[in-house]
Order: sequence, then structure tokens, then C-alpha cells
Amino acid sequence: MTRKMKRFITLRLNGEEREVAVLPNRTLLEVLREDLRLTGTKEACDDGSCGTCTVLVEGTPMRSCLLLAIQVQGKEILTIEGLAEGEKLHPIQKAFIDHGAIQCGFCTPGMILTAKALLEETREPSDYEIKRAISGNFCRCTGYNKIVEAIAAAATQMKGGR
Amino acid sequence: MRLPYFDYYEPATLEEALALMAEYRGALRILGGGTELLSLMKFGLRKPSQIISLGNLSNLRGISSEDGALRIGTMTTLAELSASDEMRRTFNAVHEAVESVAAPPIRNVATIGGNLCQNSRCLFYNQSEVWREERPPCFKAGGDVCLAVPGGKKCFSVYQGDLAPALMGFGTRIKVEKKGSSRAIPLEDIFTGEAEHPMALSNDELITEVLLPVPEGKVGSAYRKMRMRSAVDYPLISVAAVLSLNGRGTIGKARLVLGAAGPAPSVVHEAGAMLLGKDPRDIEPDAVGQAVAKAAQMVNNLEIPASYRRRMIPVFAGRAIEAAIRRAQEKEKT
Repeated sequence: MTRKMKRFITLRLNGEEREVAVLPNRTLLEVLREDLRLTGTKEACDDGSCGTCTVLVEGTPMRSCLLLAIQVQGKEILTIEGLAEGEKLHPIQKAFIDHGAIQCGFCTPGMILTAKALLEETREPSDYEIKRAISGNFCRCTGYNKIVEAIAAAATQMKGGR
Repeated sequence: MRLPYFDYYEPATLEEALALMAEYRGALRILGGGTELLSLMKFGLRKPSQIISLGNLSNLRGISSEDGALRIGTMTTLAELSASDEMRRTFNAVHEAVESVAAPPIRNVATIGGNLCQNSRCLFYNQSEVWREERPPCFKAGGDVCLAVPGGKKCFSVYQGDLAPALMGFGTRIKVEKKGSSRAIPLEDIFTGEAEHPMALSNDELITEVLLPVPEGKVGSAYRKMRMRSAVDYPLISVAAVLSLNGRGTIGKARLVLGAAGPAPSVVHEAGAMLLGKDPRDIEPDAVGQAVAKAAQMVNNLEIPASYRRRMIPVFAGRAIEAAIRRAQEKEKT
């Protein structure tokens, strides 16, 4: 009988250092939602197909359901909770609201974080580049058009201001 | 879906990793990016008691050029392959195959070694534990029936990797290491051709490098894949075409590889031979495609019927050949 060994890991989570004790078989998604109570990151298929659990690891979108928490020891993680500055929404969040790109809202955190990673890399993405970037994120409500419009609008706005 | 408990190791050197593999043979699994392993574990299809992560072995990650070949470390992510200019320029088929794997966030994590070593799949195997508990275990699950083919005497699961067929088109070799020894073998040799146990590597062996030879001459290549949704999804059949044009503009060398149509990708030599010496205008893609389809071993165990998949092989083979020829001709002009 083996003894189950927890390990301490440090995450740079939404700009703050957080230390958590985790078993090796816990996914990052479970640790974020259950231990750290950051339920903005959603769990849907839990199998890597749908993209609702997307978080940014060192700025890169990844599936938190298919990452062990111990795999991201020491890494910088951004979840949807870390995006707004207090009451001030991030331009992508604002664009999603203004363009009706949110219906049930379940895919929204993953969509917005994926869009953020895209816009950090590509300041003026084409519609094709936007569609390609969010191709791993399922939305069952909007039909995607409004999401693509929102991301394009956010790109325009972010280029001008911040 | 919770992952069962396992002991987790993060060796700091390759030697340490190989020593652990020798020690825990059988009970352990290697974690590259984890997109395949963790998914299978969530379905109860893998139950390792030890997991060895290769995440710390940074010397297994990256692409370098050496002795007329690209040397790709096993932990190189698909996103890194996709961003490589050399890949885009010289190895169109491989580049297209990489870009067609799952979705961008998966490619940010998934590794080339993990992609090659993925398990074969079947609609009657890749199901939840609850679903499988209602039925007798199939061959692949250690039982003695096939749930896809009533009365079937063996497993018919399908190897649905995208990278292997494209890499095989270029005559790729791989470096396999284990404690105390190392060998380089053709990529074809990692497959048994038996769906129940598709990989020929033993439990203490690790793919450490993929050696992709840079082809000489005017080479064009393409990878075409049929799937349900173009944004994600495994191939339901796929074809890689790699060919070169000689001085007179006729086809000098040709390799056609069929994927997702059996327990391993297959290089269809008969079909490739039909292209040799031909002027591209004289090729009948459908006839060549029919020859490619002869290598298929398919039953009704994926999302669409085998009969339809079989009929689509000549279509996708034709598209791959056409694109490969066009690319080779474009090289001719420059």
C-alpha cells in the first residue's frame, strides 16, 4: 500500500503567488475551482474537446483539464478572474458584452482568454486568424459570428488605446 | 472524471528517466504533454501506478539541423513544429499534418513523441467506464470478443495519428533509447500492425528523437485528412503524398502513405510506383487512389461507415497527389 503524497506547488496566479498542497493526480482545473475557489474557469467535457477550461499558462492558452497541477509548478497562470482591473473590465470583456457575444456564458471565459492570447501576438488579426484561434473553443449558443465580431472590435480598440 | 492516484516523477536527466523506466517496467506511463495519456486515464483506459514526466528534460525539446536531417526532440510541441519555417518550407505534408491535429490549445501542449505513440482507437473502446461495464471486455480491453464486429476474431481499432503518415512519406527515422542502449530505426518499425497492441516499443523504451531527412531535388508534398469537424477531430482516413520531379518534369520518386485506415499507417508502394516516370498531366489520380485504398483494413468502428471511408480514400489521395505535384512544380520555377 503506497502512501499518497501531497506536494507543495507555487503558482503565480493572476499576479499573486499562491502556494497549494496537491496530490499528483489533481488537474489544474480541479485545483483552481475546488481548492482556490476560482470558479470562473469552467468544466464541461473534461476531456480536452471543448475549451471551456482554457487558462493562459505563461501567456499561452492551454486546457486546464488536461494539465496536472504539478506540471505547472512555478508557472504564471491567468484565469478569467485576473483579467479585469477592479471594476474596470478588460476591453475584450467589454467588447463581448457590447456585441452580444455572450448568451449562456459558459464558453465565455475560455473564449476571452484565447482571444487575449491572440491579440497579444497579433494586433490586427483577420477574421480567419480569429476563427483559427478560437477553433478549439465550442460555443453552443451564439453561432460564433458575434464572438468573432467582438474580438475584432476589441482588437481595434486595444490598438488605439492601451 | 477524476484521475486515479499515481506516483509522479520528474527526472532531471534522460539517464534518470531511463533508469526509472527500467525499474518500473509495465506499471508506468510517460507523460509528454499529457493530452493523450490524461484523457485515456479519465476514461479508465490507462491505469499507471507511476507517471514519469519528461517536462524537465529541456534537451529533448527543439529542432536542429544536422547532417542533412532535421533532428526533432521528442518533447517538441506541435505548436513549435507549426511555427518552424523549415517545416513550412520543406516539409509541407508534415506541416499540414501538424496543423490539422486537434485545436491550437492542444497543440500548445501536445508533443511529437506523444503524438507518434498514441493508442489506436475504436468507438467501442474509447468510451466511459460506465458504458464499458455494460458489455463484455473487448480484445483491446483484455477480453476475447470484438464489439465492433460480432464474431470478430481480433481487434480492429484504428491508429488515428496524423504525424506518422506524413513523417513516413519522408523516410523518417527515430531514435529509441533505453537504459544502456540506443538505436535508430525507421518510423514504420514502431508499429506492430496488430490493433490490440499497436506499438512495437517495449515499456522501458523511449523515443528521444525524430530524424527527418531533408529531401534532395524538387520535392513537393501534401497531407489530406477527412474528419467530421475541421476545427478538431481525429482523421477518419488520411493520405500523405511526397514526390519529386526530375529534370524533364516527370515524377522521379513518389511515396504515398495511408493513415487512419488500419492499426498502423501504411506506405503503399504499389500506388507510389504507378506515379514513377509519369508526366504529371498523364496521371489518373482516381486509379492511383484506388490502389492506395487496397491497403485499407477497415470495419465499422469510427463515426462514419467503413464503406464511405473506403470510397473517400481515392478522393483524398487525388487531392494530396495534386497538391504535392503543384508544390514540386512551384519549386521548379524558383
